[in-house]
Amino acid sequence: MKEPISVGLGEHAISHDPEDILVAYGLGSCIGVAMIDPVSKVSGLLHAVLPRAKDGYQNGEKNASKFAESGIECLIAALIKERAIRTRLVVHLVGGANILLSSGMTHSFDIGTRNVEAAYATLNRLKIPVSTAEVGGHLGRTVRVYVADSRVTVRVAGEKEHEI
Amino acid sequence: MVKNLPFDQTILEHLRSIASEGVKNAAYGFSGMIGRKVRVGQTKGRFVPILTLPEIVGRPEEEAVGIYLRFEGDMVGQMMMIIPHQKAMELVDLLLDIPAGTTQHLGPMERSSLGELGNLCGSFFLNSIADSFGADFRPSPPAVVVDMVGAILDIVVATSGGVSEQILLVEANFTDGDRCVEADFWVIPDMNTVHDLLEKSAGR
Repeated sequence: MKEPISVGLGEHAISHDPEDILVAYGLGSCIGVAMIDPVSKVSGLLHAVLPRAKDGYQNGEKNASKFAESGIECLIAALIKERAIRTRLVVHLVGGANILLSSGMTHSFDIGTRNVEAAYATLNRLKIPVSTAEVGGHLGRTVRVYVADSRVTVRVAGEKEHEI
Repeated sequence: MVKNLPFDQTILEHLRSIASEGVKNAAYGFSGMIGRKVRVGQTKGRFVPILTLPEIVGRPEEEAVGIYLRFEGDMVGQMMMIIPHQKAMELVDLLLDIPAGTTQHLGPMERSSLGELGNLCGSFFLNSIADSFGADFRPSPPAVVVDMVGAILDIVVATSGGVSEQILLVEANFTDGDRCVEADFWVIPDMNTVHDLLEKSAGR
């Protein structure tokens, strides 16, 4: 059994290998974007930190995957390079929670909600529909993409993994 | 407007050494709260790029307790005290002076007592840094978060956004007799305010 491929903050990963599991652990305000072409059996996962490059990080353009907007564009391009067809892409959004609200910190920037909005806006612009979304709320989530059967699962702290 | 500052190793080194002092000071606050002397083991402070923190901390899916404070004043920034979930429950036993192993979950009362501890440790920690600069910091009330380490980390990563890409990681442990609690302190100063503060204290 292979180790799952951990997709860290501001990274994306792509795989054809049916033994691979792509995972983004403990997404809080970050957003995970899973994209799968079920026909050519290629899967990708993005772990974006902020909505758009202009929202921070002086050298943002150096790392497109840090941002939901540029990260999604980058992930689609990488998938197409690996024989995915754009119109076949099945997209799942996970994360974008507002962890601090749950504890009464009122002046939170609520990056989570803005990450979710940026992901939807980008996908709308690119005319790619979102299949399922488990976003918002106040709890962290782990998302896993099983390349073998295109399954996507979510796990919340203290709970079991479930399929979305 | 974020200034484009050169990465200044000397400043970071200075901050690192006073942060270690800050942890010792935090232990005095801790001792005062539980009425017994809490000792601090070896503390290890270092600056790491913020995006590499998950690899350093490890196990991003594991549950932990984060006590989060922001501070304003002559220096602006945020700090997070991170305690593994099991250790946090042991800490509640210690704080409430009840037999070890009594606390099995973190409800409102347990969170509140951890928040108090974080407030105290955080204030002592920040005061120690402020004193060494002759500066004034005002910490926010603490927020207690119980979640996956990765999700707790997102709070500081997202909110520090364009301001700071370096995080001061201080690993500490507190002991009371044979009980030991490890805690990590993440301090994310706004480097612009650190520069201003150093210029000001140099000109004093």
